[in-house]
Amino acid sequence: MIIKDLNHNSLLKENSKLDLEALNLGSFPKRKEERWKYTPLRFLKKINFHNQFNFKIEHLNSLGIPKIDGLVIVLENGKFNSSLSNIIDLMDIELLFLNDGDIVNNSQEPSHKDYFTNLNFSFLTEKVVLKIKPNVNINEPINFVNIISDDNCISNTQFNIDIYENSKLHIRQYFLGSSNSKDGFINHRNQVSLKSQSSLTIDKFQDLNQNFNFCNEFIDQEQESKFIMNTFSASGIILRNDVFNNVNGKNCHSELNGVFAPIEKQHFDNHTTINHFVADCKSFENYKGVIKESGVGVFNGKVIVHQDAQKIEAFQKNNNILLDDESKIYSKPELEIYADDVRCSHGSTTGRFDEEALFYLRSRGISVKKSLELMTLGFINEVIEKSNDSEYKEFVLKRLLKD
Amino acid sequence: MSELLIEIKDLECNIDNQKILQGLNLKINKGEVHAIMGPNGSGKSTLSSVLAGNDNYEVTNGSINFLGEEISEMSPEERSWKGMFLAFQYPVEIPGVSNINFLRTALNERNKYFGIDSIPAKDFLKMVADKSELVGLNNKLKNRSVNEGFSGGEKKRNEIFQMAMLDPKLSILDETDSGLDIDALKIVANGVNKLKSSENATVVITHYQRLLDYIVPDFVHVLHEGKIIKSGDKSLALELEKKGYDWLKTDENI
Repeated sequence: MIIKDLNHNSLLKENSKLDLEALNLGSFPKRKEERWKYTPLRFLKKINFHNQFNFKIEHLNSLGIPKIDGLVIVLENGKFNSSLSNIIDLMDIELLFLNDGDIVNNSQEPSHKDYFTNLNFSFLTEKVVLKIKPNVNINEPINFVNIISDDNCISNTQFNIDIYENSKLHIRQYFLGSSNSKDGFINHRNQVSLKSQSSLTIDKFQDLNQNFNFCNEFIDQEQESKFIMNTFSASGIILRNDVFNNVNGKNCHSELNGVFAPIEKQHFDNHTTINHFVADCKSFENYKGVIKESGVGVFNGKVIVHQDAQKIEAFQKNNNILLDDESKIYSKPELEIYADDVRCSHGSTTGRFDEEALFYLRSRGISVKKSLELMTLGFINEVIEKSNDSEYKEFVLKRLLKD
Repeated sequence: MSELLIEIKDLECNIDNQKILQGLNLKINKGEVHAIMGPNGSGKSTLSSVLAGNDNYEVTNGSINFLGEEISEMSPEERSWKGMFLAFQYPVEIPGVSNINFLRTALNERNKYFGIDSIPAKDFLKMVADKSELVGLNNKLKNRSVNEGFSGGEKKRNEIFQMAMLDPKLSILDETDSGLDIDALKIVANGVNKLKSSENATVVITHYQRLLDYIVPDFVHVLHEGKIIKSGDKSLALELEKKGYDWLKTDENI
């Protein structure tokens, strides 16, 4: 393993404050734009962000996550925190940390330009690049922990993952806000490149408490590659995930799953775009929303089957449960098909738990709270089961159920 | 004298402002089996729902005294903890929740109420093995989602299996015979009989006399327009089978 740890020079001057709207990064998204229709950006706009990067967390377990073994890369408030990390030597993996000046030299222009991408590239403070050599199968998950622990701190980070031919990797990403911090913001970008016959699974867990987290995610797939991402959104003032999955080679498998469980006016937003550019691929999407106490959920999934991309099988679904009258879901499954020989479906359901089922459980001596928990578990289980580690599953469930 | 288990007095109840039960009286002692029969729409299923605490039904008058306590305002879960059990006519499917997890939760919730520790996994599994044998419940069904994809007969067996696990004081079997073939009926009835003791009682709600060949009642009651209009021993069920209900309805009118 090669580690390049470069000097940390702050890109921004000390004590400078960021007023998101005043920055010259293109126009700040407005609610009249379809993509930003539901995201309450006013909460972000009113914050004056700073970039004084302090390390405050002494132990990872103070963040309520289970003990993590193996390779652990920790960023805190936008900087690599070596004392929280566990950089073990894994052969076949190249790990680079690029900061500041190096980033400028190493950054390719973003292909997709929107405000938060521009913000990320302009104020980027840490970029982690992970490359796995060809023909390597790594079973132990690699952990990437991105923490915000300082009030009003903005963290612009990137994680590039390159999986070379015929290799296989599993990554767990944790986006965490410490429980005593507020109005911090992790504006993160994942850039994934999957070479032919490679495979990557990302389990992504978001638990930001009183902070914000936006993730822009770009996945490029070459032929016969397999990509699975499971996104579990447990807490945060606004969580927003924008996934762009470009399938450029034949016989690929792409799978996006998620559970989002906003409560108490939290706003969780999942935007996904799967681009099928070539024929003979399969994609699956399964997002579940469990929303209560004035929480707001958004699902906007788009599958585009381009011309000549024949024999595509694409299935997309979003099911939601609203636990009370004050909660909201905006669900928009979209299919755009320009080929004529495809099997595609999309669907969305929103409902409440069945009163009869609730009575049935209660009649067996299960309290209302526990009954709702059981039914919620039953509802999201299909997605939780995608993870095969029982300890991780249990932890994610606990946080999603706010137990 | 046997000990009183439940006493229902002048029970009246509404659903959507429609009067269903209109002054029902019933006393059940420990160790007894009561059958409640009656034509469609007489209020049989309403009675079972009201006893189990379904809040779609509003009790407007009367009282339900269960083991010395008034329960008509009590939550369904609390009634269950005190020993009430309803075997549903239409057991509800609960997708994604395994039968085993469901029952373990039910037992632990009750233990919590009584301040007892959770049941150890080993004891729980032993109990599951013993009790499922009682109704010949297929091993696979125990790990499947509650009632999901079960056949009609499997659902009813699952109800009796749950009854065995919870070991209630009062079991109400709401048309447990509906949708069962003869073999399944015998198995279910056999299970119920094995669970019978001098400490508990069973109420069998049914349309047909057939079930009562297998679960023999001490008392048979006829429900009509929300009231019990006739009570007797098991011979009453045979008489009803032959003559129907009309002769009773006219009797009452006289």
